Amino acid sequence: MLQVNKVEAGYGKLKILRGVTMTVPQGEIVTLLGGNGTGKSTMLKAVSGLIPVMSGNIIFDGVDISTMKPHERMRLGLVQVTQSKEAYPAMTVEENLMLGAYTRSDRASIAADLEKVYGFFPVLKERRKQLSATLSGGEVQMLVIGRGLMAGPKMLMLDEPSAAIAPKVVLEIFSNINKIAKSGVTILVVEQNVRMALILANYGYIIRDGVIMMEGKADSLISDPAVKESFLGGSVADTSKKLQSG
Amino acid sequence: MRFLKSSLAALVAGGIALSAAAAFAGEIRVGITMRMVSENGQRYGQMVMDEIDLINKAGGINGNTITATLLNDECKSDKGVANANKLIFQEKVHLLIGSTCSSVSLPIVDVTAKAGVPQLIPHSTNSTITQKNSAWVFRVPVAGRYYGGVNAKYVGENIGKKIAYICAADAASQGDCEKMQGQLKAQFGADPAYVAQVQEKEVDFRAHMQKIKGLNVDGIMVAALAETMARALVQSYEAGIGADVRRIGSSSASNAPVPKIAGDAVKGVFFSAAYSAADQRPIAKLFNEMVRARYGIHAPDHDFSQAYDLVRIMEQALKTTNLGLTSSSLAADRTAIRDAIAGVKNYQGLASGPISFCAAPTPQCRDGNRTAVLIAYTKGGEDFETEVLARVTMDENFGLN
Amino acid sequence: MGFDFNSLLAFIIFGITIGVVYGIVALGISLIYSGLDIVHFAHGEMYMFGAFFGLVLVHDAGFPYPIALVGAMVLTALLGMFVERVFYRRLTRAGGGYTVAGMGMIICGFGMSVALVNVAYFIWGAEAEPFRANLDYIPRLEFGDGIQVPESYVLTAIISVVLMLALNYFLRYTKIGLAVRAVAHNKEIAYLMGINVPLMISLIFGLACARAAAAGVLIGPMQSVQVEMGYLMLMKAFAAAVVGGFGSLPGAIVGGIMVGIFENLGAAYISPSHKDIYAFLLLILVLSIRPSGLFGIEAKVKA
Ligand SMILES: Nc1ncnc2c1ncn2[C@@H]1O[C@H](COP(=O)(O)OP(=O)(O)OP(=O)(O)O)[C@@H](O)[C@H]1O
Ligand SMILES: [Mg+2]
Repeated sequence: MLQVNKVEAGYGKLKILRGVTMTVPQGEIVTLLGGNGTGKSTMLKAVSGLIPVMSGNIIFDGVDISTMKPHERMRLGLVQVTQSKEAYPAMTVEENLMLGAYTRSDRASIAADLEKVYGFFPVLKERRKQLSATLSGGEVQMLVIGRGLMAGPKMLMLDEPSAAIAPKVVLEIFSNINKIAKSGVTILVVEQNVRMALILANYGYIIRDGVIMMEGKADSLISDPAVKESFLGGSVADTSKKLQSG
Repeated sequence: MRFLKSSLAALVAGGIALSAAAAFAGEIRVGITMRMVSENGQRYGQMVMDEIDLINKAGGINGNTITATLLNDECKSDKGVANANKLIFQEKVHLLIGSTCSSVSLPIVDVTAKAGVPQLIPHSTNSTITQKNSAWVFRVPVAGRYYGGVNAKYVGENIGKKIAYICAADAASQGDCEKMQGQLKAQFGADPAYVAQVQEKEVDFRAHMQKIKGLNVDGIMVAALAETMARALVQSYEAGIGADVRRIGSSSASNAPVPKIAGDAVKGVFFSAAYSAADQRPIAKLFNEMVRARYGIHAPDHDFSQAYDLVRIMEQALKTTNLGLTSSSLAADRTAIRDAIAGVKNYQGLASGPISFCAAPTPQCRDGNRTAVLIAYTKGGEDFETEVLARVTMDENFGLN
Repeated sequence: MGFDFNSLLAFIIFGITIGVVYGIVALGISLIYSGLDIVHFAHGEMYMFGAFFGLVLVHDAGFPYPIALVGAMVLTALLGMFVERVFYRRLTRAGGGYTVAGMGMIICGFGMSVALVNVAYFIWGAEAEPFRANLDYIPRLEFGDGIQVPESYVLTAIISVVLMLALNYFLRYTKIGLAVRAVAHNKEIAYLMGINVPLMISLIFGLACARAAAAGVLIGPMQSVQVEMGYLMLMKAFAAAVVGGFGSLPGAIVGGIMVGIFENLGAAYISPSHKDIYAFLLLILVLSIRPSGLFGIEAKVKA
């Protein structure tokens, strides 16, 4: 679905990504892991087009999108949810969700998707007439994921959906990401919560200083001593169980 | 550093030598600063230059040529003063002409008085200009104190005594407004029905017009510079004040932008001026034709006629002088020119009446023209028309306390 | 003689009729600010160009006044979009982020203002031009004890209000309006929603400049048209925008009306000679009580 080949990108003259290569196969959940400031968000911005690619290329669904504008990439079904978790505070929850469907015109399928989003996140349905400024942090995260879904994406890129959210709510959100993936949407999720992400994902990449330093199947990464040492501590099985039941 | 200093010194010395060489004998230097922002202003500036050129072509002044420098002060006092200083101290002119705005001429009076340079004023009505008692200033146009008297007499006798005033903040309009009020009080014992002090370039008169409308006045005096006056006139009709309420203009009403911008709202507006294009004398008809042919001006206003008269007066005065025209005779030459202008008596030109000066530094001696014509617009727009209502000559002491 | 309530009422009414015009210009300034984070100092010149376009359409091309009004709005919108595309966008780097570009953008606005005045000077000269519009078909309104409000004021007020309501409707109830609000709030996310952000920015600029043009065509017949007319309007509209809360659209309108009333009352009861400073007195007064302006807290939200 998504293929990133030796991409270099950054801000102005400042190069952050120094030749990143990644693949996200159709229908799978892939995670990109790394510490603060390692270039994870930069990677997503390069893919979605918010920053230009300096060299290398990005193929999405068989199309080279390296030089396309963000709104053009989005119209191909490549949707990013940013780390800043910004909803439009002066709009209601439902207006925010409808904004996600801005590029679509088929009312029936928009309505169906809206119901689907409410199915994933029932709390949004309860709050749908409320201004989004009044939502809690976890609810806003649900809202922005829902807004991404309203675009009818083929692939959804999520930037740290667990950040600054209570563990219980994180579980709810992650189990929904799982369900979304099962409904046929390919997912690339950026995370610092390594354990949760590796339990959720099929495949993982670990980035440091703008280069991929390790990659592999999620279950092999999770048991990798190097990963264990630098990112994990404590029992995996415990969290895994909670995730399945959430 | 030392090298730099010495080369600077050389440069300065060279510059002085050059400018001294440029100021060769046989050249009468005249500096002019006028308001040349409007099309009209540019044209009468050009006319002054052209007339001086014609004098030179006809042999000059007693064999000497006049070199004129024309600067634009945009009717801004700071620019006018800067121009005057430049002309006097850099160009070392023998005579300064300017300005065409009272608010500019006023501060220049101090500059010329201090420097000892004769100043001929082509157009500025504010009475204070000659009341500073400078020995160096001469006013070709009619002073506001006369206009006020003429206007007030006509208004009091023919229109009524209940008058509302719109007075803009520029010096000429302030002067015109005060004089008119003072004269109506003095001649008829009438107090103003309403006085609105507005900004020089006010754009919105609606609230005042509403107030005035409610007062049932006999007339409205609009004292403002041309564009401001035109706006006020238009807005007075918009406010629903009928044509039966006469509109009285200050001296700037004669400027062509007034009928052009105000359009039909200018109909019936009357004002006193030093010249009317409706003047039927042959000299006036010839002048109108000349201005039309040379500068494409439909009907010259008194800014034109006064600029023209000024050149003639200057020519007449200069011809009576015997100037040294060297750098050492500069002060003496300036004094000689001043005295020559003070000797001009009973000049008869385009102006509404004869122009005379005398030696004493008093308004009686230095306000040259004591006759005003009362003019009314009969048609607005670019091809406006006027008629002369009356011609009145005032006593030389009139309006002085 | 007691206090004349009738003339007080008149001053307030006339304050409102001019205030709504300040309001629609301020609306444009606020729209541009909330949408693009640009404090548009050349907006007065858009007003001036609008007035000249209207003048040319009525006098030279012979169009009726209402058509000239619309025509001037369209032409000025195009001019604004051109200026934004060609000059401002380079500074703010489209796509890279229309963040507050600080001094650079402010200087650029001033520079553009001077440039536009000079272009207009070159085309139309420095003299004031009369703008004659036939408005006989509009009724006079009467208030209180015989306060008649002339037709052109009525027209000005009506059109200004219509333009405000139209903008409000557009922003709240149309899909493109939704996109404009999204762009105003956060360009990155708007991009990710599939919104063509550069296009919306052009649209914002066009809408804002069209409003300034409408003000110019409305005021033209009353005050004549002159290349330097933009400066004063900018000052008033700017004061209105700040009083209302910079970036807030309802604030711009309320601010405009307040400036209009305040300066008329100041001129009537304090001193009319310095009428233009009352707008700033009001500004200081409001800012000292509410530093972010009347609607300031919600500023960004309102767009
Ligand atoms: N707009 C920007 N301009 C310049 N540098 C930036 C910009 N955004 C991020 N950077 C820099 O790029 C580097 C990578 O940032 P990035 O946001 O990709 O990190 P991240 O891996 O997402 O970190 P985090 O987990 O904290 O979100 C950092 O050094 C950061 O300072
Ligand atoms: Mg990040």
